[in-house]
Amino acid sequence: MRSFIIICCFIAISTLAKAQQNYDASLIPKDLLPYASSVVRNEEITIEVKALDNTVYHVKKAITVLNKNGDDDAHIVIYHDKNDVIKNVKGVVYNEFGKQIDKFSESKFDDVSVGSGSLFDSERAEHYLPAVTSYPYTIAYEYEEKSKQTLNFDPWVPNSDLGIAVEKSSFNFICSPGFNIKYKESNLPVKAIIGSNAQGLKTYSWQVSNLKAIKYEPFSPYVRNYASSVQIAPEKFEYYALKGSYTNWNELGKWISDKLMANRQELPFQTVEHVKEITKDITDPKLKAKKIYEYMQAKTHYISVQVGIGGYQPFLAADVDQQSYGDCKALVNYTQALLKAANIESYYCIVKSGRSFNISLQSDFASMNQADHIILCVPFKNDTTWADCTSQTIPFGYLGDFTDNRTVLALTPEGGKLLRTPKYTAQENIESRKADFIINAAGELSGTMTTTFKGTDYEDRDDLIKEPKSEQYKMEQKKYPINNMDIESLDIKQDKSFDPVTTETIKLNARDYATLDNGKFYFLLNPANRENYVPKQVRNRQNNVNITRGYTEADEVTYTIPDGYRLEKKALEVNINKSFGNFTVKMMLKGDKLIYKRKFQLIGGTYDKDVYQDLVDFYQSVVDADEYNVVLVKIN
Amino acid sequence: MKKPLLIFFFLIFISGLSSAQDFPYGATSTQEMNMKNYAKDTSAHAVVLQEFGKSRIAVVSDDNIKLIYEYHVKIKIFDSKAFDKGTIQIPVYNNSDNDSYESVSDIAGVTYYKDDNGFTQKVELEDKKIYPVKENKHWANYKFALPGLRNGCVIEYKYKIESPYFENFHSWHFQDDIPKVYSEYEVHIPAFWNYNASLKGFLKLSKNKSELESKCFELRGSSSDCSLISYGMADIPAFIEDEYMTSPKNFLSAINFELVEYTSPYDGVKRRVTKEWKDIDYRLKTEPEFGGQLKRKGLLKDKITPIIAGKNDELTKAKAIYQYWQKWFKWNLYTGIWSVDGVGKALDTHSGSVADINLSLVTALNVAGLNAEAVLLSTRENGALNTLYPVIGDFNYVVAKVNIGDQVYMLDATDPLLPFGMLPFKCLNDKGRVFSLDKPSYFMDLSLPQREKSNYMLDVTLQDDGKLKGTLTNYSTGYEAYKRRSAIKKFNSVDEYVENLNGKLSRWKILKSEIRNLDSLDMPVSELYEVEIDVYKKMEENNKLTFSPYYLNKIITNPLKLNERSYPVDMGMASEDRYVITLHLPTQYTVETPPQTTSISIPNGGGRYMASYEPGDNSFSFLYVTQFSKSVYSAEEYPYLKEFFNKIIQSQKTEMVFRKK
Repeated sequence: MRSFIIICCFIAISTLAKAQQNYDASLIPKDLLPYASSVVRNEEITIEVKALDNTVYHVKKAITVLNKNGDDDAHIVIYHDKNDVIKNVKGVVYNEFGKQIDKFSESKFDDVSVGSGSLFDSERAEHYLPAVTSYPYTIAYEYEEKSKQTLNFDPWVPNSDLGIAVEKSSFNFICSPGFNIKYKESNLPVKAIIGSNAQGLKTYSWQVSNLKAIKYEPFSPYVRNYASSVQIAPEKFEYYALKGSYTNWNELGKWISDKLMANRQELPFQTVEHVKEITKDITDPKLKAKKIYEYMQAKTHYISVQVGIGGYQPFLAADVDQQSYGDCKALVNYTQALLKAANIESYYCIVKSGRSFNISLQSDFASMNQADHIILCVPFKNDTTWADCTSQTIPFGYLGDFTDNRTVLALTPEGGKLLRTPKYTAQENIESRKADFIINAAGELSGTMTTTFKGTDYEDRDDLIKEPKSEQYKMEQKKYPINNMDIESLDIKQDKSFDPVTTETIKLNARDYATLDNGKFYFLLNPANRENYVPKQVRNRQNNVNITRGYTEADEVTYTIPDGYRLEKKALEVNINKSFGNFTVKMMLKGDKLIYKRKFQLIGGTYDKDVYQDLVDFYQSVVDADEYNVVLVKIN
Repeated sequence: MKKPLLIFFFLIFISGLSSAQDFPYGATSTQEMNMKNYAKDTSAHAVVLQEFGKSRIAVVSDDNIKLIYEYHVKIKIFDSKAFDKGTIQIPVYNNSDNDSYESVSDIAGVTYYKDDNGFTQKVELEDKKIYPVKENKHWANYKFALPGLRNGCVIEYKYKIESPYFENFHSWHFQDDIPKVYSEYEVHIPAFWNYNASLKGFLKLSKNKSELESKCFELRGSSSDCSLISYGMADIPAFIEDEYMTSPKNFLSAINFELVEYTSPYDGVKRRVTKEWKDIDYRLKTEPEFGGQLKRKGLLKDKITPIIAGKNDELTKAKAIYQYWQKWFKWNLYTGIWSVDGVGKALDTHSGSVADINLSLVTALNVAGLNAEAVLLSTRENGALNTLYPVIGDFNYVVAKVNIGDQVYMLDATDPLLPFGMLPFKCLNDKGRVFSLDKPSYFMDLSLPQREKSNYMLDVTLQDDGKLKGTLTNYSTGYEAYKRRSAIKKFNSVDEYVENLNGKLSRWKILKSEIRNLDSLDMPVSELYEVEIDVYKKMEENNKLTFSPYYLNKIITNPLKLNERSYPVDMGMASEDRYVITLHLPTQYTVETPPQTTSISIPNGGGRYMASYEPGDNSFSFLYVTQFSKSVYSAEEYPYLKEFFNKIIQSQKTEMVFRKK
């Protein structure tokens, strides 16, 4: 009885879809127009698993472009690789009133390689953008894509981009009753309707309607945290002729270890001997590992090469040993092999990388398509150490802001295991500066400025570390907002210990730093570290405030000024303390010494959307204070 | 019996000579391996030790004539910052719709490095690690990474490309982002072909030798001699790009070839490609993808008649057609001077390349009885034109020019926001070549009197609550208006633009706004805002208030940082920014220290900055203006320009004081 109702329901939906052929732009509900450059009128995505090596996507979409900014939303891009077949591509272009003005087929599409940053990447894209010059217009298209695998299914995210409203979007998954899936619904108002169709196949369906366009809000969380989506993962699957099954991370990890990673770590005899040789006098296993890691860094470099089982399998360690290059997978696998030669156990870890957000693998939902990078974990007793193997310069044990503070999948002998990478707190990410300057009667500034960088800030000077002095001077002149900055000497040191620190010492002078005008002396109180960004105010903010990573800036500058001056204005003093951060400025004039102290701290975390205006005001106060002009007048 | 012997000797001589040119593959020296840095440029992360290229035209198989290019290089890599030199891409082209790309063969590569024990090792590139990638319809790429890279290694690789495109005789780039010890290019050109060679950049050739190579080319019994020319350059410095630079191509040392004429070895018929401007004119006129498009008046007649119906003067007609064209076409992002789809198809699909759109615009204007011509140019990115020789390959863009009375209007219909008579910024590059079907072509200056001008007026009253209340008016003229329109149109509506603008000014509240002439492209854009600005928190406690009279867009940081500069500073066009601040004070306050009147200028009429103060009745007006009169400043003028900014920054530090009476 229940399945009958569902079938009825399906029929109703499909007739509805047929009936809704009128793409007149004026029929779009008015409340979907604000902040929208385009509106998805109707989208139907169906994934049908016909066999373990045969999945068919049916995509049907009609989108109305309201103005020029929405043109890109009408760009049809079909990603594929050599295992996919694209079929039955066709589309129609309608004008503002829903009248057909053009149609197109696959012959209009251009097929391009998308892996331009890679030495090799099998992924390609067929794409086409119809040229329509009068707005609004609608394009309605459909296609079928056949994929020879069942490991990964594209998630359904009906509204993932800014500026697109959705009138209606539906997602259907069809498979044989024996094909078990797990699925995860996020931020979805309705639950799946599960049933079966006339052929006796199992069906899952979801539908959303009238989603408003998302507008850009600074300090927003990762889009998947608030956009509606459905993810699907198989239990039994086939991938590039490899079969497998999993129901959790542990089993998925085990499958990766067994099928993709097994027997890929053999090294030439000489390399094994060399590793033993360079580590023979080191007893501490962590220092041993550091030595091996540095050997690997000096010998290899990163090049993206997506070959091997759909890009999931690393090159052989012996290959990396000979070629001296590899992608993240190959370099981690190679480092593991080197460590093994010194009897050090390590884990290959699968992670979603990115600086803007700390994106974790979802602990409640295991699937293969959540990550994009590989790092190394060395589980010393009570001291789990992490390393990224794609850099020639970073210290052992340092992850930086690319893979910090998130859940990753470690391949252990017991199968896959979710582990957390270390977090860098606001107290650990420090840029701290001390400067001793003299301002002479002509307004020239001179003196020495020393800055230390710790935590994720450690890397702040990496771009100039290997450059020649002349180039370093030019780069520093761009980094610091001190006009007419002439560098007399510059020294940058990196301490690559387990708590790495970069120290920069600059001896400089800058003519005309202070201006003499009308008998008064003017100069900017904050010489080196002025904030000039204020996040824009947002009306009716929707999202919570997300500060991905906190940090601290501490500046202390002592100016020696010409004799016989006093402050014209009241000395600047700022003291702001908020949940998300704090800012203090102190300024004191004692004799000919003007002392300036500034501390700025932003604290990582998620805050209620109501504090957003506070954050804007906070930044505005910082910007104002950083533009503070010291005015000195002669004491009579 | 005498003759063959002579030839025999001669051949030996030649082959001996040519093999002496290229350096041997597969060997390195201890000296190369031990180099710690490059003495002539110790800052280099890598240096090209030797580089050799060779182009020739030869019969490959089945009477097939191909252009054969061989490349061979050896590079010393000092540190990992230059490891990208070990990843190589060889792009190959195909201009037809089938899959017949230029072909690449004989790729070989080797790396010499010192192993863990300090011995020099050699590792070769494996064939299976060379990846051919079809990028799109027209381009494919052969990609490979040399194995075994590490600090101090030497890499060497070579390859060969065979091409059927005789017009695209390989250019040679002497200069790169790393220095080169020696670079040489050898070309063998049979007498059947005739190319013009032109050298770009400031550097001098250290070798420029040409000789005759006898009977080097033979096809079906007819043979010809070749010119063998060798171009060599030694001690080539690395090219370093600066900010505000037009196009590195203008300064990079390179040698380019332009096909002038050829005699087909198959049928003996001589075909002129280019030689003098009149030949280029003839070619453009007869080429279906250019002149052919300008002749398609019949196709456009019916379309034009209703557009100009009822319009009598030429300017109105021209504007109507131009605006219609802007609306009708969507530019498909293809540039170039040759029509891609043809006017007919472009009109049908509303989509076309620069040439499709602008050549048809010229034709349309002509159909309407106007005097319009096509202007070929090279965009800023593409580099400056060679005005010594006629080189058609230098042009990559075409626009329309319409002459009405004694006025000249330049038109580009690919951008719907450009006003009538304004070219996009990318086209403002020195000179263009004016072409019409019935007159000889000639050069014209493209640095037209295009300017950008903005004018801000803030008229506010200081309220008792510490807020400034009043109006902000902004007029944007010339290219600035275009930029303003583009910025506003990035939003779905004017309301969303204003909301965003207000969002960015957290001290400001925009109470009312009005934007005029957003769609009247020929007019300045004017923005009027009623505003309230939070300035002073506690008015009653202060006897003194400080105020920066440079309230809008105060310059704090000098954009010019270098101590010296080797290339001209290109600002694109002349500009003027004008600000007028009018402030009305509450009656209990008076101005204690008014700002000074300032005037600063760049020598030789390069620009001017001035500020002036005008006291009023319990109010004042303060005006400051910055003008840059040139679009390009020479490297010698750089210090003046930098000092100009420095002086402006100094003067803008001044603050005023308002005192309670």
